Amino acid sequence: MRARIQVRHLLFGLLAALLAAPLLLSAAETGFAVILDTSQSQPRQVEETTMASVERDYGHAWHAMAAAIEENKIGLLGSDFVGLAREQLSQAIAEQGKSGLKRRYIDHGHQVRVVFYSSDGSAMELHDTVRLEIQLLDGDKVVHREQGTFHFLALMTPAENSWKVRLLESVSGF
Amino acid sequence: MRRFLLLLALACAASEWLAGASLRVPDRVQAGQELSIPTSGSGEATLYLFGPSHAAKRTVKLGTPVTLAGDELLSAGRYVVVLNGESSTFFVTAGPVSTVAFIARPSRVPASTKDVVSGTVFLFDRNQNLVLSPQPVSFSLAVPGAPDVQHQQTSKDGVAWARLDSSRRAGAAQFVASSGAASVRRVVQEVAGEPCNIRMHAERAKGGAIALQTDPIRDCAGNPVPDGTIVTFTSVDESGRSTVDARIKRGFAQAELPASRRATVSVASGIVSGNEIRWGGGQ
Repeated sequence: MRARIQVRHLLFGLLAALLAAPLLLSAAETGFAVILDTSQSQPRQVEETTMASVERDYGHAWHAMAAAIEENKIGLLGSDFVGLAREQLSQAIAEQGKSGLKRRYIDHGHQVRVVFYSSDGSAMELHDTVRLEIQLLDGDKVVHREQGTFHFLALMTPAENSWKVRLLESVSGF
Repeated sequence: MRRFLLLLALACAASEWLAGASLRVPDRVQAGQELSIPTSGSGEATLYLFGPSHAAKRTVKLGTPVTLAGDELLSAGRYVVVLNGESSTFFVTAGPVSTVAFIARPSRVPASTKDVVSGTVFLFDRNQNLVLSPQPVSFSLAVPGAPDVQHQQTSKDGVAWARLDSSRRAGAAQFVASSGAASVRRVVQEVAGEPCNIRMHAERAKGGAIALQTDPIRDCAGNPVPDGTIVTFTSVDESGRSTVDARIKRGFAQAELPASRRATVSVASGIVSGNEIRWGGGQ
């Protein structure tokens, strides 16, 4: 009888794991959690499909950046960053690699406000308030650690089927 | 009592010494400017600098100021400096506006139309940092022979935008956005709008066909409607309907419709209808 119950628990556990796997996979694919507020967007309102794309692509970009800057691999930036943002991150990663330094971002979620969306739909400015833990490492030794709320300003532009981060700047506040 | 005061004085001195050991950096530095950080103590220590596009590690001598070169602080954003276990953060901010990135849309607009031209500018300093402090931006749209359309705006978070009316006169409009000494020019082609009214006249052609020709076709501001615009001539008689699409050429449109004893002929372009002619029964 006891063995039967254990088998039943095992089966339930397997079923739960199977159901949860796609969810975990999709979280990893889509990136960090982003909540987008478009109520203050000017001069154009953000369409629902655009809102969903920006949420997905901005979260994905942060995910890629965190991986690239921790592992010092420019290739991990993928195609999420373009222009100045890509140049700056690539340079930082290259210099970290030369000096044996790393940055680790532990991301606890983004509250993002769209403050500008151009009338032709070709550019969007975001104000991101993010809860982060930042660790700066020399090799594997943490030389600086801080946790808190940080503010980032981002410029995004649309490409064929996704939004790209063109500028990402940490600012003191909004 | 004397002993207590002595201890208090020692504690104060120690705390002052400890404060001297911490990193003192300003909250903000302009991009590209050198930064000197005083240090205390003696011997050597490792300095770390992490910025948006920069990361460095080097050995420095304690007791003498540490200098962060201007080219280490080119990118605006948050920097962390770590020295001897102490760390400080500061922000590098953009310098004065040096470049204007200007998006003008669309490139071709109808003349004399409200809020039809839009311009967006992003303001950058010479190190490609977005200038976040408010800056005056002016937009101007000018067609030769017509008064300029002007708009003043103050940038917010590095961006400014405007919607302008097109001029009454058709032509190549110079759309200029400027901030400080930086200025960018785009050309917006202003073309005549819809025809204002179309008048045609008819005469008998060889073989009895109906030859139709319009007067010069203009928009409501008097600009000639561009050549190539389609004008549709239609005749309705007892045998049915005949339609001919003709393009405006040198300001006019002309066509020939099949011969008819009695017909009603009309002309239109886009959503604008012209006059109607009763052919055969007297016009």
